[in-house]
Amino acid sequence: MADEVVRLDKVRRDYLVGEQITTALDGVDLVIERGEFVAIVGPSGSGKSTMMNLIGCLDRPSKGSVYIAGGSTNELSDNELTSLRSKSIGFVFQQFQLLPNSTAIENVMAPLLYQGLSTREAKRSAAKMLTQLGLGDRMTFDRNRLSGGQQQRVAIARALVTNPDIVLADEPTGALDSKTGAAVIQLLKDLHREGRTIVLITHDLEIAASAPRRVFLRDGQIERDEKGSR
Amino acid sequence: MRLIGTAVLALNRIWATKVRSLLTMLGVVIGVAAIVALTSIVDGASQGINKSLATLGTNQLNITALAADSLTEQDAEELAALDNVSVMFVQAQNQGTIATSDNRVNARLVGVSSQYFEAVKPELALGSYLSSSSFATTAKDVVFGADAANDLGITKELLGKTVKLNGQDFRLVGVLDDQAGFGTSGRVYVHIDAARKLFSQYPYVSSIVIQAATPEQVDTLQLQADLLLRERYGLGEQTTARYTITNQASLIAAVGSITATLGLLLTGIAAISLLVGGIGIMNIMLVSVRERTREIGVRRAIGAKQSNILTQFLIEAIVLSLAGGIVGLILGQIAAFFLAIIGDWVFSIRLDTIGLALGFSLLVGVVFGVWPARQAAKLEPIDALRFE
Repeated sequence: MADEVVRLDKVRRDYLVGEQITTALDGVDLVIERGEFVAIVGPSGSGKSTMMNLIGCLDRPSKGSVYIAGGSTNELSDNELTSLRSKSIGFVFQQFQLLPNSTAIENVMAPLLYQGLSTREAKRSAAKMLTQLGLGDRMTFDRNRLSGGQQQRVAIARALVTNPDIVLADEPTGALDSKTGAAVIQLLKDLHREGRTIVLITHDLEIAASAPRRVFLRDGQIERDEKGSR
Repeated sequence: MRLIGTAVLALNRIWATKVRSLLTMLGVVIGVAAIVALTSIVDGASQGINKSLATLGTNQLNITALAADSLTEQDAEELAALDNVSVMFVQAQNQGTIATSDNRVNARLVGVSSQYFEAVKPELALGSYLSSSSFATTAKDVVFGADAANDLGITKELLGKTVKLNGQDFRLVGVLDDQAGFGTSGRVYVHIDAARKLFSQYPYVSSIVIQAATPEQVDTLQLQADLLLRERYGLGEQTTARYTITNQASLIAAVGSITATLGLLLTGIAAISLLVGGIGIMNIMLVSVRERTREIGVRRAIGAKQSNILTQFLIEAIVLSLAGGIVGLILGQIAAFFLAIIGDWVFSIRLDTIGLALGFSLLVGVVFGVWPARQAAKLEPIDALRFE
């Protein structure tokens, strides 16, 4: 059996909006194997954010099961879910979401510090990761002194530094110009080539096309699951 | 995350919003400064009062007649024969007039027996006490208290000259300096026999003062004196119509309880301002939690546990409050130092004041920080990330 990092098993997620229940995901089955680069594609309202939250251990399904790196998230407490998230998931957000009043290296250190590493150990790993991503000379810059592309690379460094099972990128090019966006996509491709599992959430078909596998969502269901380049 | 790392985050945030942090602290600064300064005022005041009382002698008993003919010199002699009585004097006093050639005022004329000055040792501004020889010869000498001397315009030149008490000639031999601020100021002192002639009071006295050999014997002596007088006048257990007995120790205790109450009252007022300061911190922390909702979401997404978020915000509140407490303590002590100069008492930095100030500000930080910190910790990561 191949190494599954994500398994969604008849997953349903309902939200209570006002007094009405809306179903964001409706009986979804999905398996992502280690080392895959998958794009989850769909228009807004298709359920892709919900899927990101479920894969990212930020949320639990209403029905069905979500397994991350082999373990079910259904029965986990908030603390256990946080631990799993900390160990297995590296987030890259659309708006970069660097921490305020923090330098680049402090941002990259933060996940390690939350894992309980000492400041010194965290600093060493963070510096190494930033240098790998070409930000060795920007480590003490705060977000106001970094360009959008640099901020997104800091965010990617922050996602990678814990060596997670899955890098979960939510519209990572959404706030960037097309040239910088392309560089970020190239970076994700390079990470995939190094053996990382990448899950890219996007509404943009062109961006999605850069992933070898594309899962199309519509109205809370998987419409199409494509493999191979188009 | 280790505690030290969380503390660094909290301190960074406080530093990043310096002006707001300072303003937030202000309530606690004022509250703590007020507590420190007020405590020192109460302390200084009670120090001063106790010093004054101590100069009157802590082992004295005052037996005061409640009517003009309640007590006699015979009572005094019997009391003097009790055990452990070291000094005894009697007083006869009444309102009267005192006059120089140019001036005339009302004063309290006090006749004292020869032991009075020896027992009380009031400070002299001019001249001398009524001398033993003046008691022996029953010469008509007089010593003025400070206010009486002031009212009458007594100067150094009048020393040894004649003044009139109720129209009779007396020789002014001394003026008291009334540093202690108790008792002697508005009075003029003559020998008890001379006073009785002035008031036609013989053989009655208005008060008898006896002093126990040691302060420990005061209470026993008070019982003995009371018993003796009751027997002499055939008084029952209940009636005390003729006299009252007071001792300085109970007076000091009474003053002590008054200053303690005063201190409690002032501290209560200061505590209210500390409470207001705490509410200020809570308010700002709640605003801060709202402002930083997305940051909290990101931190949760990258691995922060609820407890990490709680600790971060709680430390922030505690640091704000404690820093306010330290600044308040320093300002309060500076204020206390100048108040001590103005009020002429001894300035001291008390460890319990420091402990109280820091303890209270710590408590305020914890009490008013917990709620906002819990609000922050309980945010759902998804909602926090989506928050605009």
